[in-house]
Amino acid sequence: MGHSVTSVGAPHGAPLEESPYGIQSKKLAMWLFIVADAATFGALLFAYGYLRIANPDWTKPFAFSPTIVNGSVMTVVLLTSSLTMVAAVAAAQSGRVSASVRWLGATIVLGIGFAALHLREWFAMIGEGWRLFQNPMGGSPLFGATFFGITGLHLLHVICGVVVIGAITLGFRRGRFDAGHVETTALYWHFVDLVWMFVFPLVYLMNVR
Amino acid sequence: MPAIAVHRGPTMKAYVVVWIGLILIVGVEVFLTYQHLPAGTLLACLLGLALIEAGLGVMYFMHLRYERPALFWSLIPYLVFALVMMDHFWPDALRLMRQRMPGS
Repeated sequence: MGHSVTSVGAPHGAPLEESPYGIQSKKLAMWLFIVADAATFGALLFAYGYLRIANPDWTKPFAFSPTIVNGSVMTVVLLTSSLTMVAAVAAAQSGRVSASVRWLGATIVLGIGFAALHLREWFAMIGEGWRLFQNPMGGSPLFGATFFGITGLHLLHVICGVVVIGAITLGFRRGRFDAGHVETTALYWHFVDLVWMFVFPLVYLMNVR
Repeated sequence: MPAIAVHRGPTMKAYVVVWIGLILIVGVEVFLTYQHLPAGTLLACLLGLALIEAGLGVMYFMHLRYERPALFWSLIPYLVFALVMMDHFWPDALRLMRQRMPGS
């Protein structure tokens, strides 16, 4: 079965060898992207750890309220968006297009909510004098570089994800995209969620006053 | 015979259970943060919990548990290897810390 050949879906009846992974090529490509992106975030978090260890005057600026409370709410919002995303995939795979579109819409709303909470926190910090290379508390200026760098790259992923989910939702509703597209997009969204599972404890909780 | 097999995934109930578990782990992380643990112990606990969260997410939300094992073995060991290789930089960070200790 592993080496079977079929012509289903192939142009002009050309033979199509079965994928050794049993998944669509777009899904495999997304997995490869995720592995590469995970290594990127891993390198950023390692660099953050390196700088933190190498700087004895590292600043721990975060108070329980508002930062950790806000970060915890952001985490719950992002986790909930993963739940709505799997509901969207399940609905899409069972052919319930309108239900899938509703769950995708909920995922978009939660993604926008996460981004809004994140930007509110950023603007509050910037208002306190934090910049990429400025530390208003007098410690290592590299805190701002690592904090804004890591959370900024993650926020960029969230914003891109919201835009892509919006495009997939429109295409799926109009019949241009199928359940495979929804599932592949969901892989990306879950990955963005998983990255935050490392960013929140390492960048926020490890920098509590 | 279609080239792409349709895989059976978990039920919505299982998804909700995983979601609740992930939120509980986040609560434990915040709780541990305020227990005044030594930094190394806290870091180990938070990293361990984050890895459990990642494992649950990858296996259930991302369905890797329900794909062919070949996909897992083609992706995960190489990512782990790349991340482990980055650990070689820690001794240099510790050297810098000792050199820059205030008052030393």
